[in-house]
Amino acid sequence: MARIFRDIAIGILAIAVLAAVPHLTPSKAFQDFVIRCSSMALFATSLNLLVGYTGLSSFGHGLFFGLGTYSFALLMQRTGISLPMAFIATLLINAVTAVAVGAICIRLRLIYFAFVTLAMQMLMHSVIISWVGLTGGDQGLQGGIPRRVVAGIDLGDQYNLYIFAAVVLVIGLLIMRHIVNTSFGTSLRMIRDNEARASFLGIVVWRVKLTVFVLSAVFASVGGVVMSLFVSGAYPELINWPISGDAIFAIVMGGVGSFLGPTVGTMILLLLNDVVTRQTEYYGLALGIIILAFALGLRRGLLDFITERLGGRPAGGIS
Amino acid sequence: MRQYNLPRRTVLTGAAAVLATPHIAGAQAKAVRIGMQATFSGPLAQSGITHRNAIEMEVDRINAAGGLAGRPIEMVYRDSKSQPQEAARVARELVNSDGCDMLLDAESSAGSFAVQEVVRDLGVLCIHSSSETSSLTADPKYRVASAFRSSRQGIHDAIVGGAYAAKVADARKLTKWATCSPDYAYGRDTTAQYLEYLKHFKPDIEVISQAWPKLGQPDFTEVITKLIQAKPQAMYTALYGGDLTAFINQGNIYALFSAMQVFSVNLADYTALTAIKNLPAGIDTGNRYVVTCPDTAANREWGEAYRKRFKEYPTNWSWESSTGMRFFEGAAKKAGSADPKKLAEALRGLKIDCPFGVDGTVTMRAEDQTVVGYAIGWGTTLTKPPYVADVKAADWGTIFELETEWKKRNGFI
Repeated sequence: MARIFRDIAIGILAIAVLAAVPHLTPSKAFQDFVIRCSSMALFATSLNLLVGYTGLSSFGHGLFFGLGTYSFALLMQRTGISLPMAFIATLLINAVTAVAVGAICIRLRLIYFAFVTLAMQMLMHSVIISWVGLTGGDQGLQGGIPRRVVAGIDLGDQYNLYIFAAVVLVIGLLIMRHIVNTSFGTSLRMIRDNEARASFLGIVVWRVKLTVFVLSAVFASVGGVVMSLFVSGAYPELINWPISGDAIFAIVMGGVGSFLGPTVGTMILLLLNDVVTRQTEYYGLALGIIILAFALGLRRGLLDFITERLGGRPAGGIS
Repeated sequence: MRQYNLPRRTVLTGAAAVLATPHIAGAQAKAVRIGMQATFSGPLAQSGITHRNAIEMEVDRINAAGGLAGRPIEMVYRDSKSQPQEAARVARELVNSDGCDMLLDAESSAGSFAVQEVVRDLGVLCIHSSSETSSLTADPKYRVASAFRSSRQGIHDAIVGGAYAAKVADARKLTKWATCSPDYAYGRDTTAQYLEYLKHFKPDIEVISQAWPKLGQPDFTEVITKLIQAKPQAMYTALYGGDLTAFINQGNIYALFSAMQVFSVNLADYTALTAIKNLPAGIDTGNRYVVTCPDTAANREWGEAYRKRFKEYPTNWSWESSTGMRFFEGAAKKAGSADPKKLAEALRGLKIDCPFGVDGTVTMRAEDQTVVGYAIGWGTTLTKPPYVADVKAADWGTIFELETEWKKRNGFI
């Protein structure tokens, strides 16, 4: 219980600090950074529920991130419902989709699971590209998102969207943190470490796997909603396979064994992107070298590395 | 294990330098900063590079003549890596952090729509110089008061292409047609629109075969044999770039170009023309950019100056960005100021002298804030430079008439 209160206190402190920053520095790029970071960190952390905690390496998690952007943007554009309603409906759409996709995928293991999830994402990407009448095809969903208002606060205003994104990130992380700390979270780690033993101990493995698959899809779609608000629309690149790769990179760079690893990884990845893009057109080359340095130099994600140097063991407990 | 020690002072100095950068930039108030974003990396890098080349030529010229209302232009270039979400981020960064007064957006299709939303949110002055998607400026739903376009449009190309093909088809009695275009929205939309206008001008044509190769497909054998077997008299293709050169190189092996009359909307751009091994003579092509359209001294001089400086010919993208910069220049002259709000006001309906205008001028049409009057035409290929000859410039009267009908049909006006 004390742990929950501690986490909540840290969360509130983080929001308070973020809310104060714009009063100290006028940098709007920082606000944009936090908004994008919120979106991608939720996405990467949700993927880590599968990769780090359950041992399910999904290569197609971007499906739910992208579906989050498209379903939210479409609901806002095509229907007259309010933003909170569209937000909830997006989560439901993703949960239902995840049940269907998960039911097919979780019965597979290792590389087969990875590739079928990837295939599912590519299938959804193809649907979005082909269904021009609904999605705008490869041009993306154009025309912007109307009525970006929550409880009288206009999210079209950058500062408001920044605070909204920070709050959504903190709440999302707190819930996911709580999930991995419950007995359900223990079941996940048990399945990851030894699926047969977990099964003998009475854990219904497929049910736990499907549940975590759906939960992670829902959190990924929350990241998608934030991204959709940031770009004021939805684009096929947000559901294409490289976006899944970005989340995997974030996890690898931040640390698969630490809860905040994917968030740290996202920050590194976005910071690299922003700094390197300003300096050179050889972004891919620079990123490749840095990732190589991580892989060969640290041999694990940054946060895992730091935790181990401090003498601890990553909270995710990779064994 | 090795220790990684970074002196604290070094870290702090570095951090301070990073934080201070935007403020130093902001202090140079004299220069007008124009943010330009495009794809500078990956397979489409050539687009960004040839946009930028043209811009550099114009910036040098304009600055030598005193800049925009006495203020020199300073460009800030950014790569968006062909990703709309990056396009949105970079556009915001250019305005919010780099202190750009206005944007010249050289993103293609999806990216330009992402930038359009940023322009809507920030209210910044922007000229789109790459997107050819007609709805960006034609559809009032997407229109933004401070956004303009200096690039060609799909609907103009369709009307001109249809009218030209109908004339050729009449003269040579070409009634059986085939098409071969990339299998995604651009290819399918462009082809449908082209056929619509071809049938408008010549109702008795019949489409007997349609091939839709995938984007980046390395082998066109299947497509080529399918087309030859269908025995059409004429074929239209919206293939472009590497796909088009591969298609023509492989089509040559099967003597495709002697079996039917080919109409290629995207061939007359030097990137494609110079990449093809044996360019067949007699292919009908729309002009992207060639020094012979418009066939004027001003256009030839500009094309040659570009070639001299960059050791290659300009592209379609080059003239579009060059025109964008010329509009900034013309607007500053008219407004007597480089203030973005005054420039936007001056841009509406502005007519400027321009080497790419069919009559030496182009106009920023006030009603939809898009360029009209640029040279657009079709000609036939030659095997050697200048590669395309006998380019027949289109009649803008017909374009306006049919474009208005199209807008009415789609509920845009």
